[in-house]
Amino acid sequence: MIKVIDPGLYSSIQDNGRFGYRNIGVPYSGFMDNESAGLANKIIGNKESESLIEITLMGPTLLFNNDYTLSITGGDFSSLINNDKIEMYKPIHVKLGDTLKINHTKSGARCYLAISGGIDIKSILGSKSSFKGITSSYFLKKGDEIKIINNNKSNFSFDCKSVFKTDSVLHVSKGPEFCMLKKDSLDILFNKKFTIGVNNRMGYNFNEKLQVGLKSIISSPVLPGTIQLTPSGNIIVLHRDCQTSGGYNRILQLNEKSLNNLSQLKNGDKIKFKLIN
Amino acid sequence: MKYFIYSSNSILITYNSDINSDLIQVLSSLKSKLEIDFEEYLIDTVQSINSLLVVFDSNKISVDDFYIKVKSIKTGKTKNKLKSKIWEVPVCYDPSYASDLEEFSKSKNLSKQDVIKIHKSKVYDIMSMGFLPGFMYLGNTDNKLYCERKPRPSLNIKKGSIGLALNQTCIYPQDSPGGWHIIGSSPINFFDLNYKSPCFAKPGDKIKFIEISKSRYESIKNNKSIKPNFQTI
Repeated sequence: MIKVIDPGLYSSIQDNGRFGYRNIGVPYSGFMDNESAGLANKIIGNKESESLIEITLMGPTLLFNNDYTLSITGGDFSSLINNDKIEMYKPIHVKLGDTLKINHTKSGARCYLAISGGIDIKSILGSKSSFKGITSSYFLKKGDEIKIINNNKSNFSFDCKSVFKTDSVLHVSKGPEFCMLKKDSLDILFNKKFTIGVNNRMGYNFNEKLQVGLKSIISSPVLPGTIQLTPSGNIIVLHRDCQTSGGYNRILQLNEKSLNNLSQLKNGDKIKFKLIN
Repeated sequence: MKYFIYSSNSILITYNSDINSDLIQVLSSLKSKLEIDFEEYLIDTVQSINSLLVVFDSNKISVDDFYIKVKSIKTGKTKNKLKSKIWEVPVCYDPSYASDLEEFSKSKNLSKQDVIKIHKSKVYDIMSMGFLPGFMYLGNTDNKLYCERKPRPSLNIKKGSIGLALNQTCIYPQDSPGGWHIIGSSPINFFDLNYKSPCFAKPGDKIKFIEISKSRYESIKNNKSIKPNFQTI
């Protein structure tokens, strides 16, 4: 069991997502940065889709009530075990009574803490990912006790060579309403930089505006990565917790790699959109 | 009809025809056909008002190959229509559950009784679900009930509330903020995680509202196992 001494800013249990229920309005949820999360699991011998703890901007402090093997990937949050700095992207053995303190981010927006065995909670609609309205708790709180599935693995053969980096270019393809964009909107969209504004697991807003006055469309399906343009000219990139349908024009679609990358960027970071086929 | 590669693992099929009950049935039958023919590839098929988004496992088939497969499926109106269900959903229109009924009626120059009568007189199609898990978009309402959304959303609409906006009516499956005009409430569960299929209904089914009294509302509310009746057509 792992005890939450301090939950950090926003730490939640996620796996690779809840699939097959979008038709009744249930979002996918799941790892924001699928790539980093998958690696965290792989390093300690878990399935890449296994449940773990996703940490955002300011990390938690956790007390281990047993011996575990864990790994941390994603952004660098300069994590400490009992005040000793630990290496990322490597298996780490902790003992009963050890404390893990994950600090503020130095690079990236999210890091992933995987524990060998995975998290022992009930799977709901095929997934352990936290989502309000589906799971009773949807972020870690002080005093929470997280159960871990028993596992006796001690040899880890996967030697992870990955280096964490982010990219300021986001790769997009055309969305169904791409043709609604005017020529000068296209110039702005693919030549100017955009600044990330308010964002969360549902979506990312940008500070700059584009074409104003596009009429809403009939409520239609959307996916994580769908880029919407609102009638008032705001651009929204939908992310893992996004709802299943929407009435804004779907101008672009972000690819999976860029979706992972975006989840590691922060409020104020600047990006460019690049159209690929 | 238009096929569009939506992402590296999804294809969007959009119909340009008028939105009516027939189109919803066409979408439902196409959805079932895809689910049978392509079961091995599918992750999700999301039915919307005039489109269907097909999400597949791109580890099993490339998007170009899947695009060709989907395009080759024969569509259109089938003679052997899929059986759809008409669910009888109990609703209480008592003012204690209908926070906007009075104001809405006034704005439409109708009596509250007229609004209730018009609302419950129609059988509605479940056009899509979204916004919240189990949130149903039902249409189309009678023109007399057409309305814009409220200029300011209410912050706490109660679970079971029945709303009106544009030419649609809806059911809130859980407490939520929202901009629809609330004219009644249903005491039953619309999204129940105790079941493998958390929603009893799905897009393509139909809903008929049955008016109930306040006391009946309370007694159903206290009996969590009550499920709505349905007829198959």
